[in-house]
Amino acid sequence: MAPKFKKKKRKTGRPLIKLCSRGCADRPLDYKDLEHLETYLTPQGQILSRRRTGYSAKCQRDLKRAIKRARHMALMPFVG
Amino acid sequence: MTNLYEGMYLVDNDVVREDWTKAKALVTGAVEKHGGKVITARRWDERRLAYRISGKRRATYLLSYFEIEKDALPLMTRDLELNEHVLRYLQLAVDKVPETEFELTEAEGAADFTVPAPPGDDYVEEEVAVQPEETRGSAAKERPPATAEGEAQAPASAKGEGATEAAATETVATEAVEAQTAETQTAETQTTEAQTAETQTTEGEPVAAQED
Repeated sequence: MAPKFKKKKRKTGRPLIKLCSRGCADRPLDYKDLEHLETYLTPQGQILSRRRTGYSAKCQRDLKRAIKRARHMALMPFVG
Repeated sequence: MTNLYEGMYLVDNDVVREDWTKAKALVTGAVEKHGGKVITARRWDERRLAYRISGKRRATYLLSYFEIEKDALPLMTRDLELNEHVLRYLQLAVDKVPETEFELTEAEGAADFTVPAPPGDDYVEEEVAVQPEETRGSAAKERPPATAEGEAQAPASAKGEGATEAAATETVATEAVEAQTAETQTAETQTTEAQTAETQTTEGEPVAAQED
């Protein structure tokens, strides 16, 4: 007999497979690693949301911190 | 209790042009003045700033690892604040010094090492107009999977719309061709029919995707 309630399909764009146990990238997030950080910015320089990065809350905080440190040191623009 | 810190300092290019050791001493001197010990200190990069700081467009980055008393750090940062040649600083507590830092610092300390003279403040590097395909490919791989999916979906849907429009125009054209060459049945019409068949298959894909 078929189950009464069908499990709904996931509609969000978040990936189901995490890249590491913490859901973070395979290399550490450092404010000096600009090539890596730029992949998580929009063309206008905004930080991508968790929904788009697929990061866990903790890793997203690490990402935010790294980008803001790079901005403070004028390695990255605040806008544009 | 001494702690290990990583410090990144933005040094004015005017001082670097005069003498690099003098520019380096701005930071190492401040650390040693307050009883700290400099482990490594090297020129990280000279680059154009993302935004102007104190009217400067370019500056030199100095990366240093040092040990200092916890209580002495605020006094040292106060000295850096008062020094107008240090434009910005970022000091973070770290667990250990990366191994590569020792090698790079030694390379800077070699006799044949010369610090390249910083260019003028308005100097802009020539941007490469066309990126090599390899770098573009690697950049695409590095992007997070969710982003790649999200971006891939958008152009796919755009292509789908474009394909349906193109298919509509092609079918009109093939009908006209068939009317003209109904008697002869040349090989050309057969090819156009084959094309329409292909386009019909492409039409089916986006519709199936929408149903999901």
